[in-house]
Amino acid sequence: MAETPSVTLYHWEPNANSGKPMLTLFEKGVAFDSHYLDLLNFDQHKPDYLAINPLGTIPAMTHGDLVLTESTAIMEYVDEAFPGPRLMPDSPVDTWRVRWWMKFMDQWLAPSFSMIGWSVFVGPSVRSRDPAELDAAIERIPLPERRIAWRKAISGAFSAEEMTESQRRVAVGIGLLEQALGQREWLASDSYSLADINGFNLAYALPLSQPHLSNDELTPNIMRWLRAIYARPATKSCWALGRTDMARRVTILEGEPA
Amino acid sequence: MTITLYHGEPNGPSLTVLAALFEKGADATLERIDLAAGERHGARVPHAMEVDHSIEGEGPVLVVDGIPMADSVFLACYLDDVGPGPALCPSEPYDRWRMMTWCRYIVERVAPAAAYLGVAANPPARVPQGVASVDLAERWSDAVAGKIDDARRADSHDKIVQAVERIERELSDGRDWLIDAFSIADLESYAWLAGMTELVPEAFADRPRTAAWLARVMARPAVARALAMATSAAPEHIWAPGPEINRWG
Ligand SMILES: N[C@@H](CCC(=O)N[C@@H](CS)C(=O)NCC(=O)O)C(=O)O
Repeated sequence: MAETPSVTLYHWEPNANSGKPMLTLFEKGVAFDSHYLDLLNFDQHKPDYLAINPLGTIPAMTHGDLVLTESTAIMEYVDEAFPGPRLMPDSPVDTWRVRWWMKFMDQWLAPSFSMIGWSVFVGPSVRSRDPAELDAAIERIPLPERRIAWRKAISGAFSAEEMTESQRRVAVGIGLLEQALGQREWLASDSYSLADINGFNLAYALPLSQPHLSNDELTPNIMRWLRAIYARPATKSCWALGRTDMARRVTILEGEPA
Repeated sequence: MTITLYHGEPNGPSLTVLAALFEKGADATLERIDLAAGERHGARVPHAMEVDHSIEGEGPVLVVDGIPMADSVFLACYLDDVGPGPALCPSEPYDRWRMMTWCRYIVERVAPAAAYLGVAANPPARVPQGVASVDLAERWSDAVAGKIDDARRADSHDKIVQAVERIERELSDGRDWLIDAFSIADLESYAWLAGMTELVPEAFADRPRTAAWLARVMARPAVARALAMATSAAPEHIWAPGPEINRWG
């Protein structure tokens, strides 16, 4: 019998881009080797990993000899390449809507969450390290855009204007999510899909990180949706791979509606 | 199923979707709108949250049984699903991944650059009424005011140079199309780059494989038919505010 090619996922916490393919693999029931990279320790810029993904961003996945990057495209690949429950809807219009939401989140909403996250969490977490060591670490980053982002996060140099714009987008995005989830059970269709997996990775900690914008009174549909995803066995298994308090924020979803 | 496509001049995202429609021979009513005058925001075009907040900026709107849809790559994927013509996406999952990541690169890095340079060279006359997205409205005001940032212009220029380098490299094994068989990746790349040959000529100098590829895409009957729908002498000069240049890495 031919050997089934094995899957290895290089990821950080179940969160944002890392969590998207992780949760997809769990939902599909695909066994994979988990290769944890500590983003705050700059593991993603070390030679071993750059040999896999020269861009030095997480996640990446190998399937046999194939190397795949770009978390959302990896999710579609996993859904198509493996047996298990389909995570794309049957209807072509719903399929379009899944992709629309994933793009909107990946390229418009998530970067704003990221900017806030990097300024309140990533920057402060590494700031106190030896400046010379940090400098050397930043010099190893392949993407010039990311060198700038890391420097800004470490020195706390995001402008008030940038932060205000990110906060505005977060508020708009929460409004649109609530509106969409008021129209149907899942984000983009009547069945659980990659859009929900993507969205959960972005929004699971909303009631903690944006309590004034997202809670049981203001966004009941978002809260219902987050709890429903958290209740899935795949989500539990996936978040169990988290090693830090960041992933543990998900437990806020254990509470019942107030 | 009734399909109506509201499209602008055959350039950028309107070109992708018109050509995809013709490639697939899908049945649709065509409605011409003036994207560069902001007509998408007026009463003639059906509205939906996904159109108002499409981060593609000004692009065509496909209405299927009353549901307004936006974003050219995904509209082309939709047409591929429903139209009878030959496939515009590969069938193997890994090749589909190659196509989707290629399109993501074009949409995320190249389209914003092309739209920035295109609008800078051909600024729209006035800011339309009723632009729902605050950041798109800002790109309109900047474009109309001719507010062009030197750093962004330079960065956009580099992005076009890099895109052509990448295409030249991709085709170095003698392939005709970006992902083996002709696909949405060819359409979307062509649609954003066709207008750049004039604005960033250095990018295309001494790039024989890219030149031959551009000619091959242009010669496809579906693309020729889309280009023949132009109402202006040079549709590649018609631009409207597109996707924003990345704010974050
Ligand atoms: N578009 C890529 C982005 C990947 C990405 O930026 N990942 C972040 C973590 S969520 C990262 O690696 N950041 C660390 C760094 O840039 O050093 C994807 O979706 O996979």
